[in-house]
Amino acid sequence: MARIDDDIHDAGSTPRAFTLVEVPLETVPADLAVVTPPASEKRRRGDVFRPGPGPMVQFQGVIKRYDGDVRGLDGVSVSIAAGEFVFLVGQSGSGKSTFIRLCIRELRATSGHVIIGGRDLGELKRSKVPYLRRAIGCVFQDFRLLPDRTASENVAYALQVTGHSRQEVNRRVPEILALVGLDGKGDRLPRELSGGEQQRVSIARALVNQPRLLIADEPTGNLDPDTSQGIMDLLTRINRTGTTVLVATHDRDTVDRMQQRVIALHKGRIVRDAEGGYNEDPGDTGEIA
Amino acid sequence: MRLGMFFREALRSIRANAAISVAATVTALIAVFILGAFIPSFMYVRSAVSAQTSKVDVDVYISDTASVKQVNALRDKIGTLKTDGQVAEFTYVSKDDALRLMRERLRDPSVLDELPSNPLPAKFNIQPTDPANANAIVAAVKDDAALDPTEGIVYPQTTADRLLTAAKFVQWAGFALIGILLVAAVLLIGNTIRLSIFARRREVEVMRLVGATNWFIRWPFMIEGVICGLVGAVVAVAMLWGIKVGVVDAWASGADTALTKTGSAGGAIAFPLLTVVLVGAGALLGAVGSGITLRRFLRI
Ligand SMILES: Nc1ncnc2c1ncn2[C@@H]1O[C@H](COP(=O)(O)OP(=O)(O)O)[C@@H](O)[C@H]1O
Ligand SMILES: [Mg+2]
Repeated sequence: MARIDDDIHDAGSTPRAFTLVEVPLETVPADLAVVTPPASEKRRRGDVFRPGPGPMVQFQGVIKRYDGDVRGLDGVSVSIAAGEFVFLVGQSGSGKSTFIRLCIRELRATSGHVIIGGRDLGELKRSKVPYLRRAIGCVFQDFRLLPDRTASENVAYALQVTGHSRQEVNRRVPEILALVGLDGKGDRLPRELSGGEQQRVSIARALVNQPRLLIADEPTGNLDPDTSQGIMDLLTRINRTGTTVLVATHDRDTVDRMQQRVIALHKGRIVRDAEGGYNEDPGDTGEIA
Repeated sequence: MRLGMFFREALRSIRANAAISVAATVTALIAVFILGAFIPSFMYVRSAVSAQTSKVDVDVYISDTASVKQVNALRDKIGTLKTDGQVAEFTYVSKDDALRLMRERLRDPSVLDELPSNPLPAKFNIQPTDPANANAIVAAVKDDAALDPTEGIVYPQTTADRLLTAAKFVQWAGFALIGILLVAAVLLIGNTIRLSIFARRREVEVMRLVGATNWFIRWPFMIEGVICGLVGAVVAVAMLWGIKVGVVDAWASGADTALTKTGSAGGAIAFPLLTVVLVGAGALLGAVGSGITLRRFLRI
């Protein structure tokens, strides 16, 4: 967290540094803060999941079998360093969501090790799982918003969980909603928002606690190309503040444009791991046309 | 303040699941009502039984030929039992007193005038501190020289034993029933809260996925349970109060029977105390009921 704070002071930027969707990427300083840092973090020792020095995400021979011997992941070994921006690509059913759900211990590996921030999730006590999840911002493929809460209340919940005061919640929620281009829509219930807008509420909620690791499962799946571009710019900017970003997607255009590290999954196995576009060498991926 | 936030969350949940909240409240109402009707009835019966039991006394008849010294020795012996705490009260009833009492009890006392001499023996009337002590008292005096050889000692052993058994039975049956009632109420309320949680299981899952601890999720549900329990208890107490004022008190003042006297004098629990007990029970039922249910739900 210290690094983000320092960046803000060095840059001399105000807490409301930007509203993303309207502002072109080039005009935004690379070191900008995403949201106001918490003024009073009343956290007890041991309640915080602090990533260690090694890789942020490490999978060692991970196999995940669902009931009935369905293979979600079939022997995946990969390492993602802190600060990286990585795409996880593959057809639908290739295991992208399984990979992500293993990272937040929504699922447990059938065998192998899932290590986040140096901590083996197989050995993480159940009571410590909430602290892991607070350190990871997760954008879910199906949004997972609380249906009887407004957009603001949904984002606020993630702050309340981490023990922020009401004043802080009231200050930060509008900021983060503006950041994802939802100003003025905070009082709407999820069912009163379009798919893309719900998507952005989910993103706002993932960002609001300034996670060290941000994972997004098909974050542009429901968005038009312009909004997708805006979301990708936002994720890039967050990545520049030092946050590790992992994006699962099958949006070929986006991946090709970004030219980042791409991990390609097929039938639960990694078939390619390289910098570049979605499918640099079609012959290599094993994908069925 | 966190408590304020949890409280708001609980109210939100009650509003969102109005039907289920009403069901939980009615469950608490019924449980507390039954408990509230049962506790005074139980205490009434218990006090009535113990009022009867306390009437068990021991009569030690004294021989006409016993000397003053022997009678005094017997009096000392019983006195010792009193200092030991076995005897609550004892009185000496002389031959003349016995005759006078007999005269008062008969509808036509003139028949006694026909008697050539007073046939009634003198006696010590002994009230044990506890009917269970009667046997020990009898054992202590039964070989005394002053005893009347024919009359000896008279005490209603079978009545005493029966009353004792009845008192114990009433006690245990009462506690058992209260226990069963409480367990049933906790399970019922727990089940209703379970519906509330089940209706919101996807929400609970989302809360867990954004990093809420089990206690963070549990508090609002427990407060929800306590609110339902409290509201149910308050309504039940109001209903019981109506019944007490409208039915029981009216009946008690109208019929001045021995039974109502025994009951309300010694046994009946004071209504304010009953209110406190019942409202506390309602709150506890709600908290424990939802607490137990949540334990099973939060294992993901
Ligand atoms: N809960 C589940 N139970 C059984 N099979 C599942 C479950 N979730 C996913 N799968 C299966 O696991 C495989 C990988 O799924 P998933 O990780 O969701 O792929 P992706 O996100 O890439 O579309 C698929 O074959 C899918 O059918
Ligand atoms: Mg998926």
